[in-house]
Amino acid sequence: MTYLLKQLGREWRFMLRQRYVLILLLCSFLVSGFAVFTGLAEVAQQQQTIERLKLADAKDRLEAQAKYNDPGSLAYYSFHLTYSEPSNLAFAALGERDVYPWKHRVRMLALEGQIYESDSQNAELAQAGKIDFVFVISALAPLFIILLFHDLIASERSSGRHDLLVSTAKSKYALWGSRGIVRFVAVVLCLMVPFYLGAMISSTGFLTTLLVSIWCIAYLAFWTVLSLWLGKKLASAPRIASILIACWVLLAFVLPILSDLLINHSVHSAKGGDILLTQRETVNDAWDLPVSTTMDAFAATHPQYADYSYQGEGFDWGWYYAFQQVGDQASTDMSNDYRAAAAKKYTLAGYATLLSPPLLLQRKINRLANTDALAAFEYEQDIRDFHKALRMAYYPWLFGQKKFDKTQLTSLPQFEDSTHNYKKVQNEQ
Amino acid sequence: MSSHSFAKVLVVAKDEWRYWLRSKLAISVLVIGLLLTLSAAIVTAVTMMELSHTRASLQDTAEQTFVDQPDRHPHRMVHYGHYAFRVPSPLSTIDPGVDAFTGNSIFLEGHRQNSAMFADQKQGTALTSLGSLSPAFILQVLAPLLLILIAYSSVSRERESQTLSFIVSQGTSIFTLIIGKGVALLCVVGLIMLPVIASSGIAIVQGESIVVVLSFLSAYVLYLLVWSLVVLLVSTAVSKNSESFTALLFVWVLFCIVMPRIASSTASASIVSPGKLETDFAVIAELRKLGDGHNANDPAFSKLKTSLLRQYNVETVEELPINFRGAVARASEAQLTEVLNRFAENSMQEELAQTQVSRNFGWLSPMVAIRSLSMISAGTSIETHHRFMREAEDLRFSFVQSLNQVHIDKLNYADDMNRNANAEAGQKARVSAENWQMIQDFKFQLESASARLHRSMPAFAQLFMWIAIAGSLIRFFGRRAI
Amino acid sequence: MNNKKTQFAIEANSLHVDIKNAPILRNLSFQVAEGEIYALLGGNGAGKSTTLKTLLGFNQPSSGKVFIAGQEVYSALDFIRRKTAYLPESATLYPHLSAYENVQYFLSLADIKKSEDELNQAFQRVSLQESAWHRQLQTYSKGMRQKTAIALALLREAPIFLLDEPTSGLDPVAIDEFNQLVRELASSGASILMVTHDVYGACQVADRIGLLRNGELVGEYDAPENGRIDTEQVHAAFAQRKAL
Repeated sequence: MTYLLKQLGREWRFMLRQRYVLILLLCSFLVSGFAVFTGLAEVAQQQQTIERLKLADAKDRLEAQAKYNDPGSLAYYSFHLTYSEPSNLAFAALGERDVYPWKHRVRMLALEGQIYESDSQNAELAQAGKIDFVFVISALAPLFIILLFHDLIASERSSGRHDLLVSTAKSKYALWGSRGIVRFVAVVLCLMVPFYLGAMISSTGFLTTLLVSIWCIAYLAFWTVLSLWLGKKLASAPRIASILIACWVLLAFVLPILSDLLINHSVHSAKGGDILLTQRETVNDAWDLPVSTTMDAFAATHPQYADYSYQGEGFDWGWYYAFQQVGDQASTDMSNDYRAAAAKKYTLAGYATLLSPPLLLQRKINRLANTDALAAFEYEQDIRDFHKALRMAYYPWLFGQKKFDKTQLTSLPQFEDSTHNYKKVQNEQ
Repeated sequence: MSSHSFAKVLVVAKDEWRYWLRSKLAISVLVIGLLLTLSAAIVTAVTMMELSHTRASLQDTAEQTFVDQPDRHPHRMVHYGHYAFRVPSPLSTIDPGVDAFTGNSIFLEGHRQNSAMFADQKQGTALTSLGSLSPAFILQVLAPLLLILIAYSSVSRERESQTLSFIVSQGTSIFTLIIGKGVALLCVVGLIMLPVIASSGIAIVQGESIVVVLSFLSAYVLYLLVWSLVVLLVSTAVSKNSESFTALLFVWVLFCIVMPRIASSTASASIVSPGKLETDFAVIAELRKLGDGHNANDPAFSKLKTSLLRQYNVETVEELPINFRGAVARASEAQLTEVLNRFAENSMQEELAQTQVSRNFGWLSPMVAIRSLSMISAGTSIETHHRFMREAEDLRFSFVQSLNQVHIDKLNYADDMNRNANAEAGQKARVSAENWQMIQDFKFQLESASARLHRSMPAFAQLFMWIAIAGSLIRFFGRRAI
Repeated sequence: MNNKKTQFAIEANSLHVDIKNAPILRNLSFQVAEGEIYALLGGNGAGKSTTLKTLLGFNQPSSGKVFIAGQEVYSALDFIRRKTAYLPESATLYPHLSAYENVQYFLSLADIKKSEDELNQAFQRVSLQESAWHRQLQTYSKGMRQKTAIALALLREAPIFLLDEPTSGLDPVAIDEFNQLVRELASSGASILMVTHDVYGACQVADRIGLLRNGELVGEYDAPENGRIDTEQVHAAFAQRKAL
């Protein structure tokens, strides 16, 4: 044990004298630090936005509720905020939250007409991609590791020290083993320490932090072993590095892009525009259709309101909300199909990432952080559930089963952010 | 340069090519690079043309459906709404830019400005988060890597095998050698660019301005020239092949992988853009002051009422020769649009300011410079998306106001007020479907060539700065090199 | 160590080595006794370096055996490493470290503990000027670097030295100093195998010379009692063999 420590100590001191290694380590530390820092800033921004929105939303709804007195108008004019809070790992894996919305305001109108509204971020920035911790580990760290490890042996060989070193060293492992371990530990520390600081600041759970560490270290070890293995087989450092870089390009770009092409060609879905069009057409046509057509279609899915009698011949809120709902019903199949296609793509992409360790890591950690497409799907489902709860709360008033009293407004459903649930996520792992 | 040294340059360039052709690494890198660019050019061209076709036909369908609507109350058509689709620009076959990240269709209706919906990225697989198969990505990110793999040893190899001092002692200047290698490298650049040049030829046929295409292509040549110079520079400045390789790889990681993302992270952290949802609260507060355009009795419109009554010299709104409800709808839409546009303009300016921050990183990485330049020239940048939003808004405003005009002129006020009394009254409060013909054909037009060229000037300046820096450093190290 | 081979420090027995299917060493046999200086002399491509690498355990012989201190090289690499000190041709230590740090580093690799005094003595013994001990090696001349490497080899306290073209690139004064040191080592019981193409240098210092050509030993020359090997004779043989 002391012998091992002595070997490691020697190589550690030796490494600290190598300027080029130190520069690489410093860079990896800085990049990882920057990623964690901007990740924390981004998450803080998202949380503040949600807090501001909650306040503004409550105020806005109160104003609307003060202004109108009948349930129909109240439902029409009150918006309800839904949101998906970033998890406490989100700082490390911002994931797809710049593509999928994480905040939405809905009202009682047809949901299909509202849910595709996106409050997206600056598209040009989203296209460049953001630098988050997962990106640093999955895409950049392999390059740092390739730079650090490909010439571990080759550089000694090319400067003529190899034979002297090997013939001097007591054992090969004392030399290459401890050299490799020291560099690996150093690079892992440089990359992970900012993450641990970030995890402390955002009080990430211990288990989550541990899982992320295991994934990351296993991934880094994969690249290290690959680099060392090739480094042992070949003599010329640039040649080794070229092959490693080729592997990196293949795994990080070529295979995923090809899988993406393949998946996009094999999974077909309804076009988003068609869903919207169908829904709009149904809702608009309803104005001209006999009231009974709409009400029958509505009653088919809501039998409890089947005996609702249409008030007078002009405008009626019950009828109005019924045809909003019928509009949604008309596009249900397409909408399900649309979502199923997205879910299928997600599943297929999961198989594809088995070919690409960088994307596998991203996927695993985005999942842990609940910032991936799946989290976005869940959030969308939450919105749908909330919309449904809202309708169920208003329907008895609208269809005259319950007498409306403004004090009852406080009993309206409140949106609960269920995606912000780590236990659930961890159980799925 | 005398013709004598020019001949020497060619000899050096030819020799470099012979070395590449004989070295397994260089030739396989070259072949892979060509295959990548070629397949990217073909796949992206096909995809974007399909998209273009689909969206154009969706636009036609939307217009046709609108026109085919039956007789209706004109305000119903205001809510029925219309669609605008963004047809991708011709050069998007090379650089799709933000196309997949912004929605490409907008639902246009009265009283509201909707955001663009159905960004393709949302139905994506997230597999392309590191890079996509667009020729732009290949040229911006992978081509520099190819240049490095091919030429990292161009000068350091001569030094390592001591042929450098041999050549120089024979009276050949080191700069002749470097220029020769540079010429050889430019041939590689030309080769990699070939598929892209062919693809941009198609863009010209599809109506893109020749000047823009030339500037677009020359920007890429300049960019790859920057990289060729950087490769030669590092290879000249260091003494060993492996050092040259490591240093270049490091520079590549920094410029092509790290910087663009640092740029966008910095931009979004330094300029906070509150997003549509949040500004909507301010919009709603502002709009509440305006009054409800559906309610002709809203006190907010009493001024309009007085002035109309005075203009037509009548006592009551019923006596007006026009439909007062329509007039209220028109006036309210105009006021409301003014407010909406103010906020929309504001948020676009915020986005532009963010984008500007990230574009300024072009002074720190040539890749960021070419990325902005490429998207701006191709008409796939955020500005073009903003233009689409503005054009769509113009379309929205014009069709809504045309319908309001129909409402004013063609629908009797009494019938209108009576519309909810019974089914028959409802039938009476309608206008003929012929009126729907007023919908304009919408075809999204890119900004003019000169606007895009003008906008791309800073990025050109950035590229020229990189060429100047790399060039003068080569001169500096070249003198010290022997 | 009751092995019968202990009588020789180094012994090669009908050694055949092929590299990439090309025969490099053919039926090479020689012995270096304890306290002997043996020079393996040969032209470019004669197989000198391959012989050294085989002795160091870097090449696997296709047939035949090599023994160091009575142990078969491949069966006891750790033992061999302890017994031998290798001096590479252009002594390449770490340029960013000083002589002191280089030696310390390599000794630690070999798991040998030496005091500061012992290091100083070794540097003095190879007459490396004291002002240079703590300077980075990249400021050294070739001779100084060689001296550092020799100091390292001395500190290893190995009984067997393997030297690869030890005097190439050194000036005459440095060569004299080096030869003096090698003889001292031999007289204190160390066995030394050096490979070289320098006929004159080999004759100056060696007790025995083996002439290597195309991987075969084509002649051995012994030094007379208290004298040196006749340079003319070896040179003639070297030149003649080359001409063939």
